[in-house]
Amino acid sequence: MRYDSARLAGLPDAETDARRPVFDGPFFVLSMLLLLAGVLMVLSASYPRAWYDPGHVTGGNAAYYFVRQLVFALLGVAAMLIASRVPMGLYRRWAFPFLALTLVLLMLVPLVGVKANGSRRWLGVGGLTLQPSELAKLAVILSFSALVCRYRGKMRSIRYGILPFAGILGAIIGLLVLEPHFSASVIILAIGAVMLFLGGVRLFWFAGAFGAAGAGIAVLLTFFPYASSRINSWRDPFSDSSDQGYQIVQSLYTIGSGGLSGLGLGGSRQKFLYLPEEHNDFIFSIVCEELGYIGAALILCLFALLILRGWWIAFHCRDRFSFLVVGGVTSLLAIQVFLNVAVVTNLVPCTGISLPMFSYGGTALLIQLFELGIVLSASRDIPVH
Amino acid sequence: MTKQTQKTASVSRQMLRRGAVLAAVFGVGAFAVLLARLYKLQITDHTFYENLAISQQLREAPGTAARGRIYDRNGNVLAVSATVDNVYLSPAEIEANGEDRELIARGLSEILGLDYDELYEKTGRKGSWYVTAARKIEADKAAEIRRFKTENHISGVRLEPDTRRYYPNGRLACHLLGFVGTDNYGLEGIEARYDDALSGTAGRSLRATNAYGGEMLLRRYEEYRPGEDGQDLFTTIDASIQYYVEKHLRQAVLDYDALNGAGAIAMDVNTGAILAMASLGDYDPNHFLAVSPEAQIAVDAAATKEEAAALLAQAQARQWRNKALSDTYEPGSTFKIITLAMALEEGKTGLGDSFYCGGSTTVQGRTNPIRCWKSGGHGSQTLTQAVQHSCNVAFVNIGQRVGAERFYDYCEAFGFLKLSDDPDANLTARTGIDLSGESGSIWWSRNTFCSKKNLSQLAAASFGQTFTITPLQLVTAVSACVNGGRLMEPYVVQRLVEPDGSVSFEHEPKLVRRVISESTSRKVREILEQVVGDPNDGTGRNAAVPGYRIGGKTGTSEKVSLEARTGQKEYIVSFIGVAPADDPKIALLVFLDTPSDKSGVYVSGGQMAAPVVGRMLADILPYLGVEPTGSDNGGAVMPACTGLDLPQAAEKLKEAGLRYRTIGGGSAVTDQLPAAGTVLAEGTEVILYFDAEISPDLESLPELTGLNYEQARDTLSYYGLYLTTRSSVTDPARQTVGAQSFPAGTELRHGSVVEVTLIDSDEELLGRY
Repeated sequence: MRYDSARLAGLPDAETDARRPVFDGPFFVLSMLLLLAGVLMVLSASYPRAWYDPGHVTGGNAAYYFVRQLVFALLGVAAMLIASRVPMGLYRRWAFPFLALTLVLLMLVPLVGVKANGSRRWLGVGGLTLQPSELAKLAVILSFSALVCRYRGKMRSIRYGILPFAGILGAIIGLLVLEPHFSASVIILAIGAVMLFLGGVRLFWFAGAFGAAGAGIAVLLTFFPYASSRINSWRDPFSDSSDQGYQIVQSLYTIGSGGLSGLGLGGSRQKFLYLPEEHNDFIFSIVCEELGYIGAALILCLFALLILRGWWIAFHCRDRFSFLVVGGVTSLLAIQVFLNVAVVTNLVPCTGISLPMFSYGGTALLIQLFELGIVLSASRDIPVH
Repeated sequence: MTKQTQKTASVSRQMLRRGAVLAAVFGVGAFAVLLARLYKLQITDHTFYENLAISQQLREAPGTAARGRIYDRNGNVLAVSATVDNVYLSPAEIEANGEDRELIARGLSEILGLDYDELYEKTGRKGSWYVTAARKIEADKAAEIRRFKTENHISGVRLEPDTRRYYPNGRLACHLLGFVGTDNYGLEGIEARYDDALSGTAGRSLRATNAYGGEMLLRRYEEYRPGEDGQDLFTTIDASIQYYVEKHLRQAVLDYDALNGAGAIAMDVNTGAILAMASLGDYDPNHFLAVSPEAQIAVDAAATKEEAAALLAQAQARQWRNKALSDTYEPGSTFKIITLAMALEEGKTGLGDSFYCGGSTTVQGRTNPIRCWKSGGHGSQTLTQAVQHSCNVAFVNIGQRVGAERFYDYCEAFGFLKLSDDPDANLTARTGIDLSGESGSIWWSRNTFCSKKNLSQLAAASFGQTFTITPLQLVTAVSACVNGGRLMEPYVVQRLVEPDGSVSFEHEPKLVRRVISESTSRKVREILEQVVGDPNDGTGRNAAVPGYRIGGKTGTSEKVSLEARTGQKEYIVSFIGVAPADDPKIALLVFLDTPSDKSGVYVSGGQMAAPVVGRMLADILPYLGVEPTGSDNGGAVMPACTGLDLPQAAEKLKEAGLRYRTIGGGSAVTDQLPAAGTVLAEGTEVILYFDAEISPDLESLPELTGLNYEQARDTLSYYGLYLTTRSSVTDPARQTVGAQSFPAGTELRHGSVVEVTLIDSDEELLGRY
């Protein structure tokens, strides 16, 4: 079972390099550990809401969310393994068609998307829902990596180093504003910035970009009416703990209750409908409550190790595209983990960012595992020393 | 860069550098920040958040401790608690379960009679889990609500147990008992003062719940902290005596149109136990917020909402005020008992003493002479007569003989003021009764009172003016004067009984101090009996009860401060009686605040308050089992004649001072009219039946008013009806009937007793004494 990445990518191969039969073990094991912990936590965090079923979703089936998450986790692992078999060249070739598909889906969202909580972010197909913004993150990583490779040596120029990228980002962000989807915009801008940084864009652009981002945030706060009220409830959540600040205050109660060693796995009390989104964006609060500071730190360390291992793989990639994709996927993971935990601990204003491998949400989990599979694929190209 | 031949470029050094930066930032820096933040929340602020979380997760179910009952001295229930329910709504659950708000509001408004719109609004309160719909509903309503819930599968309406206080006797002793607020805290009277003992400690059940108040799955946590039921409280109050006192006091307020109400205290003179304490206007503690119809009319007529609220609060405060405990007044002539007692004890006067009253006397330091109420003066009189006459001139003299310093000392000893080291302090004192809201007396400082240059304070104090005390203080001090000289601390709570039946507190009568000697006390009793018992000279004769030995003293005090302010003359008329006079068991003070002279009765203690005390004692003394002693107050007691032959019966009746006629022709008396023990006017003709039956026919009561006493007596006995009066009979030929207990034309059975009030035509004796 050997693939010739150069052949598959349609590129001439000078070194007749052979892919390794196995992907990077530590990265896979860390991923699986986190996934296992994540699925277990979905079970623990979600069963009260599933049982009481205040929203008339589950029909009182306590395992409703868990079973769905488990199915998607298994599908996700399969997707990951398949992704790990796909040669990197193929990703590069399909980068732009994938970007085009994503843009089409993003354009469909405002037209036929499923509306929830005042925003239209989902596309529904049968019983499944998909956030095209999740795909957009991967599309940015792949297309930017491909572009950086194509424009190598010209990245310092505006024409090649800035404009094409800005065009892609502008199109995606423009479509997200229509939904509107603030948190996805932030993440995509961030991952775009990471890709450009890695791609060799001159640093002063970033200085300019940060200034522009500051201005952009000010604009966004006026564009997204709900965003400015979140700033207020971020600065002093207790001033309005029964309304705007309710969610974050409950999250702080939840995290704080955990103490050093936590209430034990399954022992959360806040998940009994006190904490909203407890199996979703705020699942990490339940982790903190049940597993305590020790457990939460352990989970974060696993994430840190996974991210560091991701960079280790990136540094060992011989090929620029692989480096950029692995660096991008790893950074995306890090950004999402950081922002999610920062939100639930009220370090940054409250916005909906899911925690990779933990938060309930089938298609998002599937896509995340697929992305990790791409990293594993890249790891197979690392030469044996 | 190096291998340009490759289409896939290798990773540049710059990329690696920048990658390393990102790896450090994302892989290490970011996590360091997060771990630090978590440390702050989970370790540093752990307790803070944990407490907040627990406080919202635990629901405390209200306690089930039963509030103790309040009993009178004979075990009659005065206050009792029963279980009721509070109804509350959980709008969050109503919303979560999609329950029909209109159905709930309509159902509850029908069952509870509440406003539909208000209930509908309450069912929609966003994010709330507890909105009170109704408090303290009865068991049948609660059952209806439970049925309504089951039938319509509603969970957003809940019931929680609560208790409600019931006062089965309504207004009876309302000021003593007080009342309990909606939160089951005692707010007034015994309920407030003994709240801790009565309420016990409520049990609490702590339950971990989900955010909607439901069970926590798998994490069930319930803890019951058992409470302890409240203790039962036995008062010294006798419900029957309290009832008699209130009945006659209420009638007196109506009869004399007492503007500011009235008060009465009955005390066991030997122990200080309060047997009854009444204050008017009163209220029903079952509905303590409701005010009298007149006050409600005033509230309804108020122009603005604020004014209405103020009027309502004012009316409530007035009806809740226990005048017998919280009002202070100048006792007036009733205080002469105290002056008398101290003078006798000091040996400054004696029964053989005589005093001259020329109508007024001058006092050093006072420009106007002190006038006696009888402008012509009482002339020469014995000590007893001076008290009978309530002669101010004589008492100024007696007071001066005692001297200001000793007078002041005695006032302290009797509990009217508390001595201080500071001779310039204005002094006050309380009896220390176990009730809240007792006011204190207001007295001159010793230096002012004892000023050598100015004896006017002493002079006025000798007949009970220029200082104020509470009615309770006077009753307590007078009790000491007649019980052998022992000042007892008054009390209303006899004992507290734990739910298991053990007695946790038993009040032992508390002697404050001995004030006067037994022999002085006996002299005081003898003199006081003459005030009531002497039908000619006694200013208190209207308090006389045929068949009983009663002592007492009148009092009429002008509200001086009011006159100074408004120029209006208003009076508090009072009478304090003790009975039986030879061995007192009960002291009874009645005071009427601002009676009206439009009632036709002269405004004075002797004319207004004394008859009230007489009526009360006429009910109370037989109830207490005090044996009537016969005819020395103008009454005759019907003996039992059945079974006797005519000569025997005739002998008995003669002894009792009664005449008779016979019906029938047998050898022995088979029946009699009236029944044995009935107190009758002396010389009444009674009927003896010999083998004959009392006619079952009814007699129509004739008109009696305008007849003199003897005419009325004889008219009635002709019909087989009998006369009694509580007015004192001084001159049967001259006193006329002013009122009768049943209107003319009333159908009465043979043997019924008709009570009349006699109008005193002896102008000589009218006066403000």
